[in-house]
Amino acid sequence: MVKNYDAVVIGAGNGGLVASARLAKEGKKTLLIERHNLPGGFATSFVRGRFEFEASLHELCGIGSITGKSPLLKIFQEVGAADKMEWVALDEAYRLLTLDENEKCDYLMPLGKDAFINKLEEYDPGSATVVTKIFDLIESIEKTLDFVSNIEDFKPSMIKEIFSEHTDFLKVANYSVDEVLKSFGASQKTRDILNGYWCYLGQPTDELNAIHYFTMLHSYIIDGAVIPRGRSHQISTALLEAFTENGGEAWFNTSVKKINVENGVATGVVLDDGTQINAKVVICNASPYNAFTKLIDENSIPEKLKKEVNAKTLSAKGFAVFLGLNRSADELGLNNHTYFIYPTNDNRKCYELSKNLETNDVQATVCLNRAFDDCSPEGTSILYMTSIFAGDEWSKVSVKDYHKTKHAFAEKMIDNFEKATGVKIKDYIEEIEIATPMTYARYTDAPAGTIYGYEASKEDGIVKRIVFDLIDKGIPGLYFAGGYTTRHMGYSPSYTTGDMAAKKAILAMEKEVK
Amino acid sequence: MSKKKFSVNGTFKDSVNTIKFLTERKQFIDSAPAVLPTRSDDFGVNKVAKSLHPKEQKLVISRIEEHGNIAKSYYFKSDTELAYFKAGQYLTFKLEIGNSVVTRSYSIASSPASALNGEYQITVKRIADGFVSDYILDNWNVGDEVIAYAPEGNMTYCPLRDAQNIVAIAGGSGITPFLSLARAIDQGDEDCTLTLLYGCRTSDEILFKSELDSLSERNEKINVVYVLSHSDEDGYEKGFVGADIIKKYAPDEIYSVFVCGPGGMYKFLETELPKLQIERKYIRFEVFSSGKKVDEEPNEYNITVINRGNETVIKASSNETVLCAFERAGIEVPARCHTGECGFCRSKLVSGKVYIPEGEDKRRIADMQFNFIHPCCCYPESDLVVRIN
Repeated sequence: MVKNYDAVVIGAGNGGLVASARLAKEGKKTLLIERHNLPGGFATSFVRGRFEFEASLHELCGIGSITGKSPLLKIFQEVGAADKMEWVALDEAYRLLTLDENEKCDYLMPLGKDAFINKLEEYDPGSATVVTKIFDLIESIEKTLDFVSNIEDFKPSMIKEIFSEHTDFLKVANYSVDEVLKSFGASQKTRDILNGYWCYLGQPTDELNAIHYFTMLHSYIIDGAVIPRGRSHQISTALLEAFTENGGEAWFNTSVKKINVENGVATGVVLDDGTQINAKVVICNASPYNAFTKLIDENSIPEKLKKEVNAKTLSAKGFAVFLGLNRSADELGLNNHTYFIYPTNDNRKCYELSKNLETNDVQATVCLNRAFDDCSPEGTSILYMTSIFAGDEWSKVSVKDYHKTKHAFAEKMIDNFEKATGVKIKDYIEEIEIATPMTYARYTDAPAGTIYGYEASKEDGIVKRIVFDLIDKGIPGLYFAGGYTTRHMGYSPSYTTGDMAAKKAILAMEKEVK
Repeated sequence: MSKKKFSVNGTFKDSVNTIKFLTERKQFIDSAPAVLPTRSDDFGVNKVAKSLHPKEQKLVISRIEEHGNIAKSYYFKSDTELAYFKAGQYLTFKLEIGNSVVTRSYSIASSPASALNGEYQITVKRIADGFVSDYILDNWNVGDEVIAYAPEGNMTYCPLRDAQNIVAIAGGSGITPFLSLARAIDQGDEDCTLTLLYGCRTSDEILFKSELDSLSERNEKINVVYVLSHSDEDGYEKGFVGADIIKKYAPDEIYSVFVCGPGGMYKFLETELPKLQIERKYIRFEVFSSGKKVDEEPNEYNITVINRGNETVIKASSNETVLCAFERAGIEVPARCHTGECGFCRSKLVSGKVYIPEGEDKRRIADMQFNFIHPCCCYPESDLVVRIN
């Protein structure tokens, strides 16, 4: 069977959903293909007993509850999905705790620029002047990023504008977070607190690109963060609904076996049942890693792209423990929404320790009831803990040892949480589910259970990715969206790259018509 | 930002550093070999994931054991490895019976270790109106190939959640998940104690008695008590498994209650268990195909099924679940648990009205918001349009 569409989208993850919704909104006849029976990829939820667990989202940025700067909300509105979503604004950024007895710390940081700076001044008197300057730089860089992200079709004249108007950005472009913060003379304590979010990107701050991290600080701390009431599954389903309302077709439980490339141009896909889908453009929300190794004939892949996919390093592998507790957050003393618990404030050391099951003690833990208490039945609460592994330690775990290994690591995370916070939770676990790198591999086919795409390393940070994406050309007709692309992994970045891919594809289709 | 000059290491050094970025990137890409990296399937993590959760398993019946004329045990082997599991999980089988394509779940009776040695065992009991169980009992023969999905299910012993002492209440063929657990304890793969209260009508209906007796005898972590509802025999408890019998045999320490059996037993326990004043977290029911809806004069409706853009219209009765109507019409749906729990059959109710029995609605919040249903526990109350894929 042969079917014809304007666009075919591979994968209903965050990038694929937004790309599909945008294409349908613009009147393109679009087919969205998803292997699973659910939309969302990582952005989903699951029910155990009387609890509905969020599968991956901690806080969503891009829906600016404080400043109103909401690039993500704008996308959702434009594709007709925003009115199907319901947001709860957060007021807390994070509570930062360390396990190391010699450098024990406990910092509770609020969202909002002024509140954040004031609180930091409390913890580290005299820091306000320096931190204000850092935030000025963060805001200046944000202006440049807004300029760059609005480029839909790159013109050489834009380079001139960047050199005249965006000098801060250019100066910082190739420095690490540590290099820039140190240049301001920020104290160790101030840097420890500012670096709290590092685990969300999975890269230590001595290597992590400053602009990458600053844009994250801007979107969380300055603009504000939210949680969707119906879990991330609500966002995923709302996008799917908007897509189908605008005439899009979504096929679930359906796999793409091949992306057709003819004379160097992507022309469609072949499905698991042999159905041939011809399309003017192919949007791929499967990772370039999987697309190049599984979906595209090797002879059709330019040498440069092979080198590129080979040069990059797979990022953190995920581990999560989902707990339905039979006491309320108040009863237990779960007073905070986001807990970052690290073995030490030295995040390079944390990263190195996270390569090993025995030594990894990194966790980011969320008590959803602190976003909205009715997320679970009265007298109960939901806590979920996430850890990241650098390296591929889990590949050494055999089938036979799998259950024991995952339980042992989950127990260690629970013990660490109790030790760091003093809150006892172990006796109140009514429901538990544990996700390992194997779980992420199962549901997303991510190599080694990677959850953050490619490492945001010095050579492959987002600034380099964005700049070279504007210069390099891949396979014409094929557009990648999602966490392995220019904006690195994360909800907001994946939605954004989905939108960018769709806009590029639409532009290309229009050029073709002319 | 003000026009005051900002720099990290001085404007000159910053500019050099930024320009370096172009060469660094070029070198980074150019120095990599122009070969493709390892496919995801070849990572240890992905191999284990696939081994634990194969898309489907082709099983060959290697042996059939008759339990009087009330039940049969089926033993399976495979050319490929069998998916490992936790004691208490079930296998869902896909069968083509006449024009129907159906799925049914059976708890695995064998131990997890036996799966690693290449064998599964399930036990099928003959029940009244058992469309699929009758078919299996009358048609499955040694050498036949059958299709099963990966093991699923949450009634497994989890030391982080459950008490270390399990009081298991089994009714009829509901013994199988606990036989698996007892075997796993005996083989050292689970670290809990098991007090098994096994309810049957008469002693003739007790399945696996000699094995259970010997497990109980040789392993101090396992204790088996038979409870007969319809006959008074020496050496057996009389009546139904309720609060008194549980109290009599449960350990002094804190314990979890696991239940697997027919609907009538669940109804009885719903009034009995509260008498024990056990916290909810220590009580877990394995739900199998729930009670049927019985309309004296069932209505007949049309269901328009949308699958990959194609529409088919099928007939459905108000007395049967939407999934049942799909199955009868030979429409393949990725269903597993048949109790609303697993969510595999999740579909979009484009239009129409369905009835969901109380307690069976285990959907996500957003699925309720956008009218997605689990067809396995929905009964049609009007003509429907359902998008399955």
